[in-house]
Amino acid sequence: MNCHRVRDSLPTLLDRRTAAAVPAEVQAHVAGCADCQREWEELRVTLTHLDDLPVTAPSSRLRRNFHAMLAAEKRREAATAVAPVPAATRRGRSHWLLPLAGGALLALGFLLGQRAGLPARASDDRGTQQELAALRQQMGRQQDQLAKMTTLVTYSLLQQQQHPANERLQQLLADARQEQPSERTLDTVIGALTLDPNVNIRLRAIEALYPHAERELVRAGVRAALPREQHPLVQLELIEFVTLTQDRGAVPLLERMSANDRADPAVRDAALLALARF
Amino acid sequence: MLAVRGGELDALGELFERHHGPLFGFLVKLTGQHAAAEDLTQTVFQRMLKYRHTYRDDGSFTAWMYHLARRCAADHFRRTQSAPAATDPSDLQAFVDEAPHAAVRAAQRDDHALLHSALQQLDRADREVLLLSRFQELSFAEISGILECSAGAAKVRAHRALQQLRTVYFRLQKKPIA
Repeated sequence: MNCHRVRDSLPTLLDRRTAAAVPAEVQAHVAGCADCQREWEELRVTLTHLDDLPVTAPSSRLRRNFHAMLAAEKRREAATAVAPVPAATRRGRSHWLLPLAGGALLALGFLLGQRAGLPARASDDRGTQQELAALRQQMGRQQDQLAKMTTLVTYSLLQQQQHPANERLQQLLADARQEQPSERTLDTVIGALTLDPNVNIRLRAIEALYPHAERELVRAGVRAALPREQHPLVQLELIEFVTLTQDRGAVPLLERMSANDRADPAVRDAALLALARF
Repeated sequence: MLAVRGGELDALGELFERHHGPLFGFLVKLTGQHAAAEDLTQTVFQRMLKYRHTYRDDGSFTAWMYHLARRCAADHFRRTQSAPAATDPSDLQAFVDEAPHAAVRAAQRDDHALLHSALQQLDRADREVLLLSRFQELSFAEISGILECSAGAAKVRAHRALQQLRTVYFRLQKKPIA
């Protein structure tokens, strides 16, 4: 048996789980070969020192943070069980708000038309002019709101009609599999995170962004999604993302979330915990 | 863990008490950073909660825990690879000599410091397999599950990593002190 083969077997011989499988010739060779003996001794010393390395204990912060995390998770579980906020509710609200807003706008337009159509009289002077200006302003504001709402609802409806949720998910998974996605691909994933009506897709989008968390585009997208997001589950995932990626730019957003009385208690706790971890 | 999966979240507290010490020990040796290892230990337990529904009864809990730990550590290394590493004040405690006049103890500390340094110079994959095989009382079958390779391959990798550590360790010992 040559030295090279013996030296390959030395770690196996030093490991009590595998020592029995080493042939007796190896030990016999080591006993009679100075070079192999030296190698054996060095490996033995390395292992002894490795085993003697002092056990390092974590600080009390770890236990404290763990119990805070567990408490937050329990509250989140309770909140999810008692008052779930399904995505369908949000979509539903958008659907019935749209005709309502349209109706209000129509009524306002009718009123405005009636006023504008009246013959000018001496008594309808400055007061009427001011009233008309106020009504026009109000109408402008409502038109803006309606335009914004229409954009969101149109996006949502187009997404749902043209691409069913499972198809969108498949696309997202395909995007996520790319090792070096282009900015356009990342834009699509960030778009899904900020605008997709399906909670599961938004959650999956966050997961897909993790491998690219170093890119500023991704961090900015997640920061933009943080204040927009209304669903507690997605909010918690976003908070975890900015915490794990140590995105300090998200600190002011987390501070606002932790102080927001209308936010889910679990979300507030998670935001506080995240701030502590920064 | 089955109880946690079934909704008894308090059972995770028991698992934390039983396993956080060895898990932290693994992560602190793997990262070489005290504070980062604490954060990662916390993250592993967070992920246990998050992915509790994916836990299967067919493997050991410890192997599953180290599987999660390895992924958390991989995320950590990916994040910190491009960022400059700041000195963590808590890490400085490791260099405080509690017995400055004891020559033997000082020598031991030197050995420990050299070995820590040698560990950090290994490839991460070598360090991982060595720590898993030496400190965590896992069988090669369990380690193979964590590393997603065969038991034979896990054994060969662990033994090669030991040889690598020996080479670096003895090279550092022979290096003159600046």
